[in-house]
Amino acid sequence: MARRNTRREKLITLALHVGLLAGLFFAAFPIYWMLASSFKTNGEIFALPPTILPHVFTFEAYAAILTDPVKLRFFFNSYLVAAVVTILTVIIALLAAYGFSRFNFRGKAALSTLIISTQTLPPITLLIPFFGLVVSYGLFDTYAALVLTYLVFTLPYAVLLLTGYLNTLPRDLDEAVAVDGGSSWTALWRVIVPISVPGIVATSVYTFLLCWNEFLFALTLTKSTDMRTVPIGIQLLMGQHAFEWNQMMAMSVLGSLPLLVIYLIAQRYFLAGMAAGSVK
Amino acid sequence: MAEVVLENICKTYGNSFRAIRDLNLEIADGEFLILVGPSGCGKSTALRMIAGLEDITSGHLSIGGRDVVDMAPKDRDIAMVFQSYALYPHMTVFENIGFSMRLAGKKKAERKKRVDEIARTLQLTELLDSKPANLSGGQRQRVAMGRAMVREPAAFLMDEPLSNLDAKLRVQMRAEIASLQRQLGVTTIYVTHDQVEAMTMGDRVAVMKGGILQQVDTPKRLYDAPVNAFVAGFIGSPSMNLFEADLSRGTLQTPGFSLQLPETVLAERPALRKYDGGKIVFGARPEDLYDSTLASGRSHQTVPAEVVSVEELGSEHVVHLRLDATPVDSGDPDAVEELGGLSNAVARFEPASAVSADSRIDLAVDCAKLHFFDPGTHLAIR
Repeated sequence: MARRNTRREKLITLALHVGLLAGLFFAAFPIYWMLASSFKTNGEIFALPPTILPHVFTFEAYAAILTDPVKLRFFFNSYLVAAVVTILTVIIALLAAYGFSRFNFRGKAALSTLIISTQTLPPITLLIPFFGLVVSYGLFDTYAALVLTYLVFTLPYAVLLLTGYLNTLPRDLDEAVAVDGGSSWTALWRVIVPISVPGIVATSVYTFLLCWNEFLFALTLTKSTDMRTVPIGIQLLMGQHAFEWNQMMAMSVLGSLPLLVIYLIAQRYFLAGMAAGSVK
Repeated sequence: MAEVVLENICKTYGNSFRAIRDLNLEIADGEFLILVGPSGCGKSTALRMIAGLEDITSGHLSIGGRDVVDMAPKDRDIAMVFQSYALYPHMTVFENIGFSMRLAGKKKAERKKRVDEIARTLQLTELLDSKPANLSGGQRQRVAMGRAMVREPAAFLMDEPLSNLDAKLRVQMRAEIASLQRQLGVTTIYVTHDQVEAMTMGDRVAVMKGGILQQVDTPKRLYDAPVNAFVAGFIGSPSMNLFEADLSRGTLQTPGFSLQLPETVLAERPALRKYDGGKIVFGARPEDLYDSTLASGRSHQTVPAEVVSVEELGSEHVVHLRLDATPVDSGDPDAVEELGGLSNAVARFEPASAVSADSRIDLAVDCAKLHFFDPGTHLAIR
């Protein structure tokens, strides 16, 4: 009996490992394919049968992107918009979250529900109204158009995430500051913010990713090549007569690098922040 | 230093829950007053109102002769020690203690001098560069004290500051706080639900229940002359035993026994005569019930009792008993839990007592030390 159990357990473990490997392959292969293709020539990408490893290992695609000021501009735009949105989101969301977490005011519950409800709308349904607004305010094809639009999507989630995080911090701390001679403002910036780093990092990473990856609004609300962001830049490489697949893949790799670096640096805080904000 | 005066203080929350009703207290300059009561009695709310962390619905509050009702906490000249200590986790001990001085714009040299001085008093000098996470419970407690002391306030407010410590450390810190308070001579209001802390630390103790002040007096007076059954049950550990009885011609009659009250008892409490022929509540402290075999020389009467269990503590035996009498709930939730199970009375016997569980004994009762309460209002009969 015991022997049969051991055999069964081994089979289950084997099946589990096979399943996990299949999952890993499914998740990792597209990333590998992106990496491998970025080091191939455009001709090799179309080779049949496809080559798993580049026959000719070349940095040609990377050189083409990194020496082209137009393409570098896409990166600059993406960094600028994502950074500005992240900073603004964290500051505004922190103030709102502190209000929700620490003060009772009329309409608090209704406002909270309203914030959550904005998350239920598919962004595409707001595309035309936003386009109309942006054009009528003369913001079309500007950074402001992207920053303001992205804030609409990043703020609700950031407010919810940070409110959850601040709720886990004891109110005694705010009261200790009050007794020590400080205002709510002092409590927020001198005590609450420094100990909320995990929550702030989690919110920042989420916001940065959202902005960095955004395609739909960036495509609709900008027009000139000078204002385009990385996702649009990749799409622009699909020409009418030629597809620069190796450059598209190289640009995708370069576009993913900041995210990877941010994840690696912030991973510890990100996980802690997510847990602290959600568990309690 | 200052006196703190609470006049007709009321606190009603939005849902019309009345947390404090008509609280009147005068705490003298330099006095150590303990606010005590079971959970939800309003003691912490009262303290937080004095601190300015809760609004006062109605009434007057003055600290050092100044009306502070509309003042922010920082302007009330008080310092508070929180139950959780509320130390700023990202700051060192030095920064924690000196934070209020920093907010007040004091120069670094001045801050350092004062913090060093306090650290020496509280034996924290070696820990000034440590963060709270690296301190033990007792050390954190001392940092919280230091943070309060640095402000040189008119009054210290302490909200159950020892409740997070283990039993041994609590005893040590209890003595340290009491001695520090005497040394500094600062008016101190100390909230606790632990009546041992209340009895051992304060000059006076204010007992609260359901938002109403029951009695404020010295620990000894509270113990010896409680104004009602609640105070009688709450003060003292184990609690006072309270039973219902019929009083007839100076005799207490319960279903299982009777006790003849001595003439001295009736003479000292003339109001008792009004209850003759009716119901009454009587109370006996656990130390006024003893093993009749060891009661020689003491005036006593005996009642039959069944021993449910015996806790041998070395210095005494805490004996849980069952008497044939109807126990009375004093209104203290802890006292009900304490009794629980099969027993309805607790006695403290000398360690020489040989009583054992499941035996029947004659329990000696010192009738001269009984307490009496009105069965309806539970007020003491004097």
